[in-house]
Amino acid sequence: MADAVADGPAVAAREGAAGRGSPKEEALHRPLRGFRHGLVAGSLVTGALTGLLFYSWAYQVRNDIGAAGINRPVFWGFYITNFVFWIGISHAGTLISAILRVTGAEWRRPVTRCAEAITVFALSIGGLFPLIHLGRPWLFWFMIPVPNSRGLWPNFRSPLVWDMMAITTYLTGSVLYLFLPMIPDFAILRDRAAVESPGTVRARLYRVLAMGWRGTAQQWHSLEAGIRAMAVIIIPVAVSVHTIVSWDFAMTLQPMWHSTIFGPYFVAGAIYSGIAVLMVAMYVLRRGLHLEEYLTDKVFNNLGLMFVAFAVIWGYFTFAEHLTVWYGSEPSEMTVFWQRVSGEYGWVFWLMIVLNLVIPLAVLPFPKGRSALGTAVVGLGVLVGMWIERFLIVIGTLRFPRLDFTVGTYSPEWVEIGILIGSFGLFGLLYFLFVQAGPIISIWEVREGDHIVAHRLGEPEHVVRVVHAHDDPAPEATT
Amino acid sequence: MPASERWVHAAFATPDEAGAALDRLAHLGVSPSDIEVRSSIPLHDVSAPGTSPRSRVPLMAVVGGLLGGTAAFLLVSLSSQAYPLPTGGMPIVPLLPAGVITFEGMAIGAILCTVATVLVECGLPALGKAPGPLDAHIAAGQIVVAVRSSDLALADWALGALATSDG
Amino acid sequence: MTRWGMVIDTDRCTGCGACVVACHAENNIQTVGEEQAARGRAMHWLRIERHYEGTFPDVRVRFTPVLCQHCESAPCEPVCPVYATYRTPEGLNAMVYNRCIGTRYCANNCPYTVRFFNWHAGEWPRPLERQLNPDVSVRPAGVMEKCTFCVQRIQDAQNVARDADREVRDGEIETACSQSCPARAIVFGDLEDPESQVARFARSERATHLLEDLGTEPSVVYLRGGE
Repeated sequence: MADAVADGPAVAAREGAAGRGSPKEEALHRPLRGFRHGLVAGSLVTGALTGLLFYSWAYQVRNDIGAAGINRPVFWGFYITNFVFWIGISHAGTLISAILRVTGAEWRRPVTRCAEAITVFALSIGGLFPLIHLGRPWLFWFMIPVPNSRGLWPNFRSPLVWDMMAITTYLTGSVLYLFLPMIPDFAILRDRAAVESPGTVRARLYRVLAMGWRGTAQQWHSLEAGIRAMAVIIIPVAVSVHTIVSWDFAMTLQPMWHSTIFGPYFVAGAIYSGIAVLMVAMYVLRRGLHLEEYLTDKVFNNLGLMFVAFAVIWGYFTFAEHLTVWYGSEPSEMTVFWQRVSGEYGWVFWLMIVLNLVIPLAVLPFPKGRSALGTAVVGLGVLVGMWIERFLIVIGTLRFPRLDFTVGTYSPEWVEIGILIGSFGLFGLLYFLFVQAGPIISIWEVREGDHIVAHRLGEPEHVVRVVHAHDDPAPEATT
Repeated sequence: MPASERWVHAAFATPDEAGAALDRLAHLGVSPSDIEVRSSIPLHDVSAPGTSPRSRVPLMAVVGGLLGGTAAFLLVSLSSQAYPLPTGGMPIVPLLPAGVITFEGMAIGAILCTVATVLVECGLPALGKAPGPLDAHIAAGQIVVAVRSSDLALADWALGALATSDG
Repeated sequence: MTRWGMVIDTDRCTGCGACVVACHAENNIQTVGEEQAARGRAMHWLRIERHYEGTFPDVRVRFTPVLCQHCESAPCEPVCPVYATYRTPEGLNAMVYNRCIGTRYCANNCPYTVRFFNWHAGEWPRPLERQLNPDVSVRPAGVMEKCTFCVQRIQDAQNVARDADREVRDGEIETACSQSCPARAIVFGDLEDPESQVARFARSERATHLLEDLGTEPSVVYLRGGE
């Protein structure tokens, strides 16, 4: 590499004409080139699990909803648990990309897109479950407010209709919020593909997705205003979505469901599980795609601190809920309460406490525990713990109705287990495909971050791999 | 485009260099409407002098929110009254649930209006436009300043850049 | 205005179960079979709850037939996203099979657990389909059902009365359960008619409601505490 200062302009001209940014950016372009073994293998495996999802679902549609293990009085089982779980996970993106953007936290730059992708895919999968759990899913459109020959409209008093409006809004918003900041990145990919691989399918795809973006001052101003507005709008939407999902339970009269704390409780739990998924996804991305320069230890550390905060918040809400029920000592509620903490399946509750509270608070307050691997492992535990929490809420209450003549049990059938496993497969598949379609870390936002840092430090620009690259030490603040 | 006027494009490695070129152009008295600055990141400190980009996004977001919220409320109240079915002792037009739906309507209205405004203001999609001659340089992180001028030599001098191209 | 209601005298109920069988026969309720019943999917719109009171040697068994209470302020109604259940002007909690998409939210919000779901479609191997009541639809899989206060009998009596240009008389409508009870423990009629049997029993000192404190305002009155 001839990088003597005298050659600077010539090098810059060469690199510019080739469309190549700084060397560290190559890590972001690599997954987008050709067929990489690891990514293809991952796509196939998750694709197979997705097949399991749709096969199980098809079996259930063909053989009636009775193929699942739900019964009377446990009318809701795995499917609603999974629904709440996946919608909860979708709060990862909103927290990171919206809240951190609005508060001006610069370290969010490498993380926003992988978090927003989690949101979009988790929402899509979560949105499948209300269809999966229906007795007659082909009639789901009765819930959509369109004029029809019956003259009937959906019942807007029902929390399920609120769910539909909220999730539609959140999904639309998240998709657009994911896509808008991708336009300049698609333009970068388009311009580079025009040089490196003109005429290929990829080049044409990027051309369409970039929508003719040119990067003028007016365009940037509008786009940034739009992204800022979306960030502000999407935060209350996210809060409302999981609140409304919690109201599926809180609006009923069921013991230990009819609680005003459910709204904030579920939102806090959702953000908690969202951060957990984000930690796991980031760890996998960092190792799999060699993104150590972007998903640095500092990012994991900061997210780890947020993780601790939400562990405490979750613990607070859980304690408040259980204390209130126990203190009130209402008979129907106490039946559910005692079954939950010390019944035949009481160990499940305590496992949840260990996974959601004990382990995170034992590991994460220490800097060593907030390493990439540490947070990812704790995150995995929290994912299991949060799933258990949803399961206990749904099944724990339904098993013990007020008229205790009809106490029930529940055990899932293979279709329910297949659909649960398959949903993770579908999530993985969507993620693998996304990683191969567009840059998982926002190229322009990281560049902007480096530019801002260089500006603040008064250093010469290292926007492009040119001129001063080898003579000066690399600036420390790349995060 | 008049035959005597063409666009001269120049790529700069850093925003400071691009800013210096813009200063030179300003000294020459080139009108801002004949200058275009393009980059792969938003540049708040470098812009063609005399221009201040504006965006109607905040206003449109509020307008969209109001429209969406009103539409949602009307949907709930009119549809409940169109085929009134009493449920659970609740009123036919339930105000608190209507509040929930109205909130979501406000959100979706604001979101759609914001995105529409961004697309309109950015002139997207604009797939018909041919790519510029130095677009690869933008992808590399450089800044391209384009000048429309009938005096190409002067434009070249003013820009004094890494790479120039007529287009 | 009519308001259909029922009075069940638990001091008279012997727990014989004739009402349960009659309800099955009248309303084309499917017999789910042993395996499905063990899974908790039995469908008895009317069930006899058996409670033991007192300690030996003064033990008493109290039988309480529990059916849909047709609540005035029914918690099951507002949660259905598609209006498959609502309150009719005559005070019935209606169940509209064609509209039901099977979210089962209504069943979750019923504090009396009196709603039943068709996990599979009912099967009546030949010649059993000949026992089906032609006045009542057979529900497909994926649809919720529950006691309707034998709405087909109510409708029939109202049609007959309208043709004869008169009002429905008290005692003219017998639900399947009230008709078959050997102890005459179940009475059905119009609660708004002060002279009807149900209205008079509802004013009795022994009158109670199930889960009164929830505020569901049920249309079924239970008489208890007679001895």
